[in-house]
Amino acid sequence: MLEIRDLSVSIGPHEIVHIDALDLPTGRRVGLVGESGSGKTMTAMSIVGLQPADAKVTGSITFEGSELLGRSETEMAKVRGGDIGLILQDPARALDPMMRIGRQVSEAIRIHMNLSRKEVGERVLSLLAQVQLPDPEQLLRRYPHQLSGGQQQRVLIASAIACDPKLLIADEPTTALDVTVQEGILELLVQLSDERGMGILFVSHDLGVVRFVCEEIAVLYGGRLVEVGPTTAVVRTSRHRYTESLLAANPGLADSHELEEYVGRRFDVIRGSVPALGDFPTGCRFRDRCDFASDACSEPPPTMIGEHGHRFRCWNPAEGTVNAAAG
Amino acid sequence: MPPLVEVSGLHFRYGKARVREHDDAWTLRDLTLNIEDGSTLGVVGESGSGKSTLVRVLCGLLHHQHGEVRFDGRDIREWLSESQADLRRRNQIVFQSPRRSLDPRMSIRRALGQPVRSLERRVPSDTELTEWLERVGLDSEILQRYPHQLSGGQLQRVGIARAISVRPSVLYADEPVSALDVSVQAQVLNLLMDVRSQFGLTLVMVSHDLGVVSRLCEEVIVMKDGLIVEAGRTSEILANPQTAYTEALVTAARTVSLAAPDR
Repeated sequence: MLEIRDLSVSIGPHEIVHIDALDLPTGRRVGLVGESGSGKTMTAMSIVGLQPADAKVTGSITFEGSELLGRSETEMAKVRGGDIGLILQDPARALDPMMRIGRQVSEAIRIHMNLSRKEVGERVLSLLAQVQLPDPEQLLRRYPHQLSGGQQQRVLIASAIACDPKLLIADEPTTALDVTVQEGILELLVQLSDERGMGILFVSHDLGVVRFVCEEIAVLYGGRLVEVGPTTAVVRTSRHRYTESLLAANPGLADSHELEEYVGRRFDVIRGSVPALGDFPTGCRFRDRCDFASDACSEPPPTMIGEHGHRFRCWNPAEGTVNAAAG
Repeated sequence: MPPLVEVSGLHFRYGKARVREHDDAWTLRDLTLNIEDGSTLGVVGESGSGKSTLVRVLCGLLHHQHGEVRFDGRDIREWLSESQADLRRRNQIVFQSPRRSLDPRMSIRRALGQPVRSLERRVPSDTELTEWLERVGLDSEILQRYPHQLSGGQLQRVGIARAISVRPSVLYADEPVSALDVSVQAQVLNLLMDVRSQFGLTLVMVSHDLGVVSRLCEEVIVMKDGLIVEAGRTSEILANPQTAYTEALVTAARTVSLAAPDR
């Protein structure tokens, strides 16, 4: 459904993103994972033409066979909120504080669909019910500040799916929310995607969250895809050293019976920090932080292919060992 | 030995106390807890539960209306009126956003030396400044730099170096890594573990991340709506939560934990 080929996004002299190939088949949920500066948000925004004005985007992004790059702003506006829905990190800032919830959710419907007032109203009510908000009729008249963060994000999901998009782009949709609220939102996204056959491009820094939602994971470092594949393959048998160390650095909560032995245990670290734009080394961009770097790493790494579409670019890959992520 | 910090019947609200006790308007309601010298305590709960407020009351940055807070055997109000600088010196905080907690116009040299200047009324020597930076794995060449020239991880290290420069008894860390990149978080958490054992500090860490708390903190309190709903050994509470609220927190953390089984 979505095909990215040789996508390059630059600002001034710096190429921020370079993705040779990334696909999102119809109805699939793909996670785009990376730290700050990895280019994950820039990639997502380029798909819908919302990259910064001074960014130069080249290459090809096709959606259902037709090219998105180079379209006029008017044409892109038809795509956004129509075939491609969008939800962003901070729900409080994405909602207009002066606009009642009903109007907020109906906006996309009024723009993209030719429906009567009554039909629009019915659709809004059904959408609010689908995102499992209680008492939709009351809610229509509320303002954003009267809702909790989780409810606000549900409202935004309702407006994003209002015109039955085929693809939903979600950029860190739960980062600003508490963990217990996060769980509900993630489950809702999975359920909506299953019910509607809607694909999701899920952008996040949090591998744990992405793993919960997505069937495939693409890991970005320094604007390059380092590893792509089915979720279980990427998480359990990571091949790229960056993915491997990222998983080890943030293992999450251990099993109950193991908790005692983890008290006071140090974390596995990745040394250094993500370089500033333009300060990445040549060849493999992760090499000066990598424990396995060799002379070969100063040359661009080849794309290696594993099982089930598992691809990675590393000169010294992990030998497909099962990750000690449990712990 | 009595506990280093003793809290009983603590009530706090922002603004004037004009409501009766047990009213919802209290941000902290009837808290009782002890913190032993040299222990590690995690404070967990959702946003708005009062975690950060509690830390600020214990450090004497906010003043409670009812109840008692004793630090090292002495009432905190007494400390504040008679030896405020000492109380501040012995209770240091590392904040969530290193970028926002350092003055952008202050060089690292000035920022780093500031607690000693204001609390000990002396100017630290270059040898001292260098030593403090070395403790946290930084080079003295950053002394003349400004916060915007450092990465988030480096700034958080400066924050830790600054806090321990005055040899505190308790180090409070309020979400110390949530603003950092995942690959840098582990470095800073390890550093916190190291300085804690090296300087025999008591560590009180506010965090929403149960995985982090389970490693750094032997004990934990779970807060909700200004109350402590559960307290005890971290490994026991997380393995066997006694309240529905704690259980929900643990379940939610396991959902997105990489250690969780494949779906």
